[in-house]
Amino acid sequence: MISEDHVTLKTGVMMLKIQDLLLSDDEEDTKRVVRSAKDKRFEELTNLIKTIRNAMKIRDMAKCLEEFEQLCRAFLKSKTIMDKEGVPQFYIRLLADLEDYLNQLWEDKEGKKKMNKNNAKALSTLRQKIRKYNKDFETEIASYKEVQSCSPDAFTSSSGSDDDDDEGITAKSLLKKKPQEEEKKAPEASKFLKGAADEESESEDDEESEDWGSDSVDSGSESEDNEGAAASLAVVFLKKYDSRRKKHKKKERLEEEADEEAEAEEGGWEKVKGGAPMVKEKPKMFAKGTEINSAVVVKKLTEILQARGKKGTDRAAQIELLHALAGISNENNLGEGILIKIKFNIIASLYDYNPNLAAFMKPDMWKKCLECIDELMDILFANSNIFIGENIAEDSENLAISDQPFRVRGCILTLVERMDEEFTKIMQNTDPHSQEYVDNLKDEGRVCGIIDRLLQYLETKGSTEEVCRVYLRRIMHTYYKFDYKAHRRSLGLQGETKSEQDQEESEGEDSAVIMDRLCKFIYAKDRTDRIRTCAILCHIYHHALHSRWFQARDLMLMSHLQDNIQHADPPVQILYNRTMVQLGICAFRQGMIKDAHNALLDIQSSGRAKELLGQGLLMRNMQERNAEQEKIEKRRQVPFHMHINLELLECVYLVSAMLLEIPYMAAHEFDARRRMISKQFHHQLRVGERQPLLGPPESMREHVVAASKAMKMGDWRTCHSFIINEKMNSKVWDLFPETQCVREMLVRKIQEESLRTYLFTYSSVYDSISMETLSEMFELDLPTVHSIISKMIINEELMASLDQPTQTVVMHRTEPTSLQNMALQLAEKLGGLVENNERVFDLKQGVYGGYFNRDQKGGYQQKQSYQRGKHHSHQRDPHRSRSCSPVLLTCVGWMQLL
Amino acid sequence: MASRKEAPSGKSLDSPVRQIQIEGLVVMKIIKHYQEEGQGSEVVQGVLLGLVVEDRLEITNCFPFPQHTEDDADFDEVQYQMEMMRSLRHVNIDHLHVGWYQSTFYGSFVSRALLDSQFSYQHAIEESVVLIYDPIKTAQGSLCLKAYRLTPKLMEICREKDFSADGLKKASVGYENMFEEVPIVIKNSHLINVLLWELEDKSTAADKHELLNLSSSTHLEKSLQMLMDRVDEMSQDINNCLFFIPLQYIQRRQQENAQRQSRGEPPLPEEDLSKMFKPPQPPPRMDTLLIASQLSTYCQTIKEFTSQNLGKLFMAEALQGTSSYS
Repeated sequence: MISEDHVTLKTGVMMLKIQDLLLSDDEEDTKRVVRSAKDKRFEELTNLIKTIRNAMKIRDMAKCLEEFEQLCRAFLKSKTIMDKEGVPQFYIRLLADLEDYLNQLWEDKEGKKKMNKNNAKALSTLRQKIRKYNKDFETEIASYKEVQSCSPDAFTSSSGSDDDDDEGITAKSLLKKKPQEEEKKAPEASKFLKGAADEESESEDDEESEDWGSDSVDSGSESEDNEGAAASLAVVFLKKYDSRRKKHKKKERLEEEADEEAEAEEGGWEKVKGGAPMVKEKPKMFAKGTEINSAVVVKKLTEILQARGKKGTDRAAQIELLHALAGISNENNLGEGILIKIKFNIIASLYDYNPNLAAFMKPDMWKKCLECIDELMDILFANSNIFIGENIAEDSENLAISDQPFRVRGCILTLVERMDEEFTKIMQNTDPHSQEYVDNLKDEGRVCGIIDRLLQYLETKGSTEEVCRVYLRRIMHTYYKFDYKAHRRSLGLQGETKSEQDQEESEGEDSAVIMDRLCKFIYAKDRTDRIRTCAILCHIYHHALHSRWFQARDLMLMSHLQDNIQHADPPVQILYNRTMVQLGICAFRQGMIKDAHNALLDIQSSGRAKELLGQGLLMRNMQERNAEQEKIEKRRQVPFHMHINLELLECVYLVSAMLLEIPYMAAHEFDARRRMISKQFHHQLRVGERQPLLGPPESMREHVVAASKAMKMGDWRTCHSFIINEKMNSKVWDLFPETQCVREMLVRKIQEESLRTYLFTYSSVYDSISMETLSEMFELDLPTVHSIISKMIINEELMASLDQPTQTVVMHRTEPTSLQNMALQLAEKLGGLVENNERVFDLKQGVYGGYFNRDQKGGYQQKQSYQRGKHHSHQRDPHRSRSCSPVLLTCVGWMQLL
Repeated sequence: MASRKEAPSGKSLDSPVRQIQIEGLVVMKIIKHYQEEGQGSEVVQGVLLGLVVEDRLEITNCFPFPQHTEDDADFDEVQYQMEMMRSLRHVNIDHLHVGWYQSTFYGSFVSRALLDSQFSYQHAIEESVVLIYDPIKTAQGSLCLKAYRLTPKLMEICREKDFSADGLKKASVGYENMFEEVPIVIKNSHLINVLLWELEDKSTAADKHELLNLSSSTHLEKSLQMLMDRVDEMSQDINNCLFFIPLQYIQRRQQENAQRQSRGEPPLPEEDLSKMFKPPQPPPRMDTLLIASQLSTYCQTIKEFTSQNLGKLFMAEALQGTSSYS
């Protein structure tokens, strides 16, 4: 019979649900979910309690212990609900009963002796556990016991009222165990059960047969949920047993509760009843005639928010609901405090709309959010007496209109940051070549506008950390943009038309100035390392973008970021890579070829520039990266509009490598130990050589390779025509802001390096060469040629002297001929061979170092002197032998180590 | 062929051929063949025909192999040779197969391919030789034609296909006794000799002066370059050998033992390395041997070349001295 009751209760709930569904009242729906989540928890608890009680009955202590542990865990899980609702009475009762029961068993020595070992052990542990556990609920248990002892009547009613029907059974079964109490309680219990049954039927019969229905308490909520059911059950009991005294107490609580619920549900309920006609066509928030004040609205708000994050909550509906609430509070002039609070929550629920962190918001959702934030900012600016902050506790909020300033919990900075992140995500997930991307990108201006406003706001109100954060946001939106206005101004050009000039004036200060101000503030005030690092990198990037090479370089060197960037998180590392690349490109524009090469070397030599700059994923097999990692990596990608052109990057790198490597190769043609400066460049050369048929260059790389070949011969004109032509202009050089300067610089560099290469390669054919001829050949003016040659002579790269009166370079002919070079190389190689051979021999002998220790004085010295002998004919002997002997010496040293 | 094979069977096995006599015709044909078909580093090959007289191999004729091209893959070389020999027999020319010839580029001819084909020749026809013709040297005025045979020891090894280090050691084959050079005599008929005398009388002095060319560096450079390449290969081989042995482990053990010794503890026992490390494929020794052999040929040629050139230089100096006096 009892279980039937349970079923009927359930069906009742089901019916109501169906009704609601039919009505498709969103409000109702969300409401229900809250309850059902709570229901679930309570059901879990009660089920556990039931099994414990059963176990108690059969004295199965082991089972009891196990179940109790589970119960504790379940209770912990539903902690949040408990915090809101208070610890349910049935739980307390179980604790109390269990303790009593255990004590009783403990006292019963004989019974204990009869118990098997397992049970006895469980009993003692359980006893200890419950003692400890009950300490947390001491007051509740005490009050429960008190109630139980002073008025068993009240106890039963309260137990009945606070419990669902399952609990009722267990209570009854428990009572059976205490025969002395049974007589007294049995009828009550049965009555209670009857009452419960009555109640169920009532709710199904639409509360027709109520005998207490005249009360102001709206009965609509009764069977709605546990709490409601319990409350109304209590009412039933109180009515039937005429314990009015109790009712008064309850009523206050009930009124509060029911009020709230009724507010939420009345709309729905009214309709079911077909009773009072609707006043508004929209789902109504509050009962008609309810005085709408801030307290009510706040309550409603928390209620809506409770559904947040729960399964099955209709998020769209929730947002709607919040909007409606905002409208209501606005209508009733409840003040900005409430409005702001609601707005905060609207934005938060907009963010919540997408449950998956990886997925991006729909652009229209995001735009809504943007508007909301805008409105919020409007309010904040309009009312300077509003304090918002994360650290304002929920209960210390001041939302009502009063003399005190408003205090609202919430952090606008976080919301804006989140909005910005969502913007990035949207950009990441939009096809960069579509019109959609352009449309989305147009919103960037609005984002910047909001950040600017926030910046203004926080500058007056926020703490330093907040200011730092918002500054960083601002910087992040500024650093990669080239300031054309400032660029034009620096060139001394004015806007061509009047309107442009106006625009210029209205646009305010240069981005450089802004960057400087913001970054410096962060350098001074920031406490978190990350923000400062980002700010520095952005600052450097910005400098580099605007060709302020020395500032950028100094900042980079001063920050010492190169040493410890590997400890930073991947996004910062990506930023660092971007900065380095930009720095390299900047150096190239300024003609600092070597610096450019060094800056770009790391990125380019890995061959993963795309990945390192966060501009796309490399195709790799799935072993190396699973789907999860891929998602993470995808999230790190830089949006397309911030990309650095990879072809430009590669071209800059290859051209700087060419300018460095070709003269170097020419100078060290016969050096067996020459190192390559750039592996990547050599690779490209080799690829070019492997081509069976050499057509005119097509791609950027082919152009550079062809140019390198021309430069090898000292043919600067061909080299120039390969590097700078229509194709290359459109592919690479036109992408620079100062195209012309870069091209001029390049031509000059090509001329100079070609001259050097020419001298290295062909100096052996000349006895002397006139500088004038050289200057004509390379179209360089005489002083430049003079300086280049002098530099080469000083660096001992060119064995020659300058004859001032005739303006000629006289070669010294000290370079070994190619045959001699060859012989030298051969000697070196043979040396290596002998060495290797001896090592093998040693291994075979198994005597380590013995051979060398013995022969060191003889063998190697001899070999060295042999080499010296070879070198005797050359003037550069010391230099050469120096380059050989250290190697030999290190080998000897190494051998000694063995 | 069978009849010819019977003839030398009674001869001593270790060197069935002590001398090679070549007809002028053969030399001319080989030179012509290279002139017409070979260029640069490309190699031309052909078949030598002749007969064995006592310990002397007489090469009386030859014919070239056609140059290989990609598109006639179905060309049957054996068929071609048989065909050629049959045709030659019809015109009553010596048709017995006695070896083959090959041109060379700056003296590089010692290779695995040469070894294999010479082995198969010598295996089938005991007296076979390989003639190596150096066109570059010949162009400089001194005919360079050399005849080589595999030594019996190497033949033994090749027959057993045992190229491991142990096998080579047992057979005591080093790079210096892989090939034996057989002296060559060029013999012409008296009529031709008469013609040559006549021609020599008629020829101008300038025609003979190629021999006196003093420029030497290009040739030397090239030779050095090749030498260097071989040395590189050699080093590589040796490196392979080094890594073949688990060097690191041995080092560690050695250091440990040294430490133990210094502390006065007994050294750790030498364990069987093959147990601890899976023995990798031992590096093949034959290639190294070939490289070494090639190196020695290079050295030989360079030595010859330089000594000749030095002689020429001294001569030139002397000439200059006398001319300045007069």
